Amino acid sequence: MALKQISSNKCFGGLQKVFEHDSVELNCKMKFAVYLPPKAETGKCPALYWLSGLTGTEQNFISKSGYHQAASEHGLVVIAPDTSPCGCNIKGEDESWDFGTGAGFYVDATEDPWKTNYRMYSYITEELPKLINANFPVDPQRTSIFGHSMGGHGALICALKNPGKYKSVSAFAPICNPLLCRWGKKAFSGYLGTDQSKWKAYDATHLVKSYPGSQLDILIDQGKDDQFLLDGQLLPDNFIAACTEKKIPVVFRLQDGYDHSYYFIATFITDHIRHHAKYLNA
Amino acid sequence: MEEESGEELGLDRSTPKDFHFYHMDLYDSEDRLQLFPEENTRRRKEVVQAERANESTGAGDGKAQRDLQEEVEELVHLYGLEDDHELGDEFVENMPRMGVSEYPPYGMKRRDPAREQRDWRLSGEATEAEDLGFGGWGSAGQCQDLREVYRYTHGRASEEYECYVIPEEEDEEEAADVFCVTCKTPIRAFQKVFDEHKEHEVIPLNEALESAKDEIHKNMYKLEKQIIDMENFANHLEEVFITVEENFGKQEQNFESHYNEILETLAQKYEEKIQALGEKKKEKVEALYEQLVSCGENLDTCKELMETIEEMCHEEKVDFIKVKCPSILISVSFYTNRLGKFLKTKTDVEISTQPDFEDQTLDFSDVEQLMGSINTIPAPSAPVINPQTPNSATGSSVRVCWSLYSDDTVESYQLSYRPVQDSSPGKDQAEFTMTIKETYCSVTDLVPNTQYEFWVTAHNRAGLSPSSERAVYVTAPSPPIIKTKEIRSCEEAVLICWESGNLNPVDSYTVELTQAESPEASGVTESVVGIPTCESLVQLQPGQSYVIYVRALNTGGPSTRSEPATVHTIGSYFRLNKDTCHPWLTISQDGLTILRSERSTPTKEPPPSDTHFTRCVAVMGNLIPVRGHHYWEVEVDEHLDYTVGVAFEDVPKQEDLGANCLSWCMRHTFASSRHKYEFLHNRTTPDIRITVPPKKIGILLDYENSKLSFFNVELSQHLYTFSCQPHKFVHPCFSLEKPGCLKIRNGISMPKHVTFY
Repeated sequence: MALKQISSNKCFGGLQKVFEHDSVELNCKMKFAVYLPPKAETGKCPALYWLSGLTGTEQNFISKSGYHQAASEHGLVVIAPDTSPCGCNIKGEDESWDFGTGAGFYVDATEDPWKTNYRMYSYITEELPKLINANFPVDPQRTSIFGHSMGGHGALICALKNPGKYKSVSAFAPICNPLLCRWGKKAFSGYLGTDQSKWKAYDATHLVKSYPGSQLDILIDQGKDDQFLLDGQLLPDNFIAACTEKKIPVVFRLQDGYDHSYYFIATFITDHIRHHAKYLNA
Repeated sequence: MEEESGEELGLDRSTPKDFHFYHMDLYDSEDRLQLFPEENTRRRKEVVQAERANESTGAGDGKAQRDLQEEVEELVHLYGLEDDHELGDEFVENMPRMGVSEYPPYGMKRRDPAREQRDWRLSGEATEAEDLGFGGWGSAGQCQDLREVYRYTHGRASEEYECYVIPEEEDEEEAADVFCVTCKTPIRAFQKVFDEHKEHEVIPLNEALESAKDEIHKNMYKLEKQIIDMENFANHLEEVFITVEENFGKQEQNFESHYNEILETLAQKYEEKIQALGEKKKEKVEALYEQLVSCGENLDTCKELMETIEEMCHEEKVDFIKVKCPSILISVSFYTNRLGKFLKTKTDVEISTQPDFEDQTLDFSDVEQLMGSINTIPAPSAPVINPQTPNSATGSSVRVCWSLYSDDTVESYQLSYRPVQDSSPGKDQAEFTMTIKETYCSVTDLVPNTQYEFWVTAHNRAGLSPSSERAVYVTAPSPPIIKTKEIRSCEEAVLICWESGNLNPVDSYTVELTQAESPEASGVTESVVGIPTCESLVQLQPGQSYVIYVRALNTGGPSTRSEPATVHTIGSYFRLNKDTCHPWLTISQDGLTILRSERSTPTKEPPPSDTHFTRCVAVMGNLIPVRGHHYWEVEVDEHLDYTVGVAFEDVPKQEDLGANCLSWCMRHTFASSRHKYEFLHNRTTPDIRITVPPKKIGILLDYENSKLSFFNVELSQHLYTFSCQPHKFVHPCFSLEKPGCLKIRNGISMPKHVTFY
């Protein structure tokens, strides 16, 4: 698992780096970005995983969100992987922006032709953490996860499917209930097949209902003027209702006037970094 | 003395080695032994030598020559040593003759050289005498004798010198190495073994020397001390002299003034008496004169009557002859009447005034009194009462001091006082008087923080002095009473309030703080002084416990400490302000629980007010006015409708909290099994949904970062943060929209998760 450094830039006293490696899970070369705060020079730091949304790569987040200052101050190593395998030459993978390349949906595909490469869930929860723990000064016991849109969905399911693995979770405009939205239906049917019972294993709202109750503080920011919210792709109310019922702590903030863009993310990224830092640095 | 020194010089120059034996004590004798001719020896010396020569002859010839010896003695005594020139000359003239006549053999011997010398010497008789002297001494034994004689003649005791001198001689011959303590003499070590020192205690010589030195030093020290003492004593005597002089002056002045007074009194009395006497004399003389005048008048009348009667008698005789009878009869009868009347009038021949003056007793009693008072002390003058020494009073006592004039003799003082009262001048306050020997008095059992007027009179046998000026002293105040229920604190400070505890105003207050954390309780006490009002904001260290006392001060001094109050600088501590409380709310005794009961909900709203809430069923807390962090928690029921937050003190009391720019609040409403959380400021709220209803809300007010944050304490969950810029101090506020209860927890440290916001 040799790492190849693609780039390294100093930022807020730390280093924003991009690496490439050969992924076993995904059977392809994968890139990921990692920010090493100044604190990482002297000791192990908590690791915070960021999952980008549809069409994103490792680059979106590191170039647009402006998270570096907060991460530097709180001493967090922030890892931003790509959103899907790439260059696998699977037929139809580049046909649409909401399926295939750039739309891995953080599931382990069970259907041909995707199942050999599209194993983003295992990549994010298993392979990548091992890689990071082995190669960077991080404390495996202190890990959190957050994401945007599809990445928000990914963050929620990773946290809910692995109680105790993540100290905290947060999301910007997450796809909360993919079973009931068009994006989710398209992706899940493609990757998981038509058996909808299998889908529930990757649906945050459903996962909450069976969540065993290890304390998890969830922060969700949602732009009120997000067209995908209005389009019914995100369905946060379902998730909140489920959390209220199951007494899973969520603070859901509906931010007036914000849309789905990185401008919205950049506005509240500091709150989210602090939210994670509170648990990671407690 | 001049001569002596001259002789000494001569001695030094000419004394042969052998003569050192005689040492200094034989100074005079040595002079006489110096027999070698010296060209320039002065005449006086020669005379002396002649004298000595004479002595020696007497002594050398034996006891038989008593007469001569006595004569010599006499002469020596008579002429003293060698000073008298004239007598010396005479003496010199006589001596040879005597010597010649009495002791021919010597004389013969001496003659020849004397004659020879006369040839070549110019000094004549004196030279002869010298020669004579020279011839007189034949041996050392003779010298010894001479010395003895000299000693006798002069009555000098040179023994004590000798006893030291002789050992020293030995020292030089053979050095001693030890010191015999018993004999007090240095000896040689072998002597210890064989000699009479056998039984004696000996010590090394240098030790003996050291001890002798020590002894000398000690004695020197003693003497020095004595000198100092004597000097001091002399100084003291000098002072006493001056004092005697001064006292004499005073007494003299005193006497003079008294005698003058007496003389004046006497002169005055004399004047008075003389004047009185003169007046009496005048009175008597006038009375006598009057009597004399009236006496004269009577005499005249008598004479006139006599003459008339005589005339009538004469006429009668004539008229009897001439016939004029009837008219005469008439006139006779007229005069007879007049005479009768006159005779009836009693002629007063008693002397109305006595020539004697009444015996005047001279009253000298007052003079006697004056005389008597000369020897007794005068009555003292009024003492001078001192103003009150600051900080000398206690709550119930003052220390009054005064002084007397140094000339006065005072047996005792009378100190009087009474409380000063501005009002009711007609009603005299009770006066108290006490007798004191000293010039100070601690007057006790007074009323705190009260002014008293003091005055003092001095007293001795002669009487009472006038009263001193009146001085006002004030007792220290009573201790203040800390309002423990109104103490507010935070991590950095405490705001402490108290009641004066005194009816009259006091000058200031002092707050004393002691850190109670250390178990030894030997913590340093800090003080904040000069506080003019009944409250003080005191800066403290965070995370400590303090015991606080307050004292009241006036010019008299500080009061005793108030009852202590304990303050913990852990978190912020406040109580609810009942003045702001909506009538429907009940505040618990500890000021930390708000209750809105089910039944007491009248339909009618109370009238508007500026101080307490009238529409919104709310109450405010009294947060300490200190910028920094303040954190408190509120326990709520998850189905309760409540509002918690902060507001300015002047927030409109007729409006809901959060409905204006003067309040920032979190409001919870529970309707149709749904929880609604609003974060209200100026009627607006963000859209926030919270899935787990908090049971305990943490509220962080951060002036430094201009933030107000809310937390679910149990989950460490951040709920919301206001960015607010309070331009002045805000206070916690609470309201209950439905019956229920809010419990405030404060004075607690901030949880760590809060510090991220």
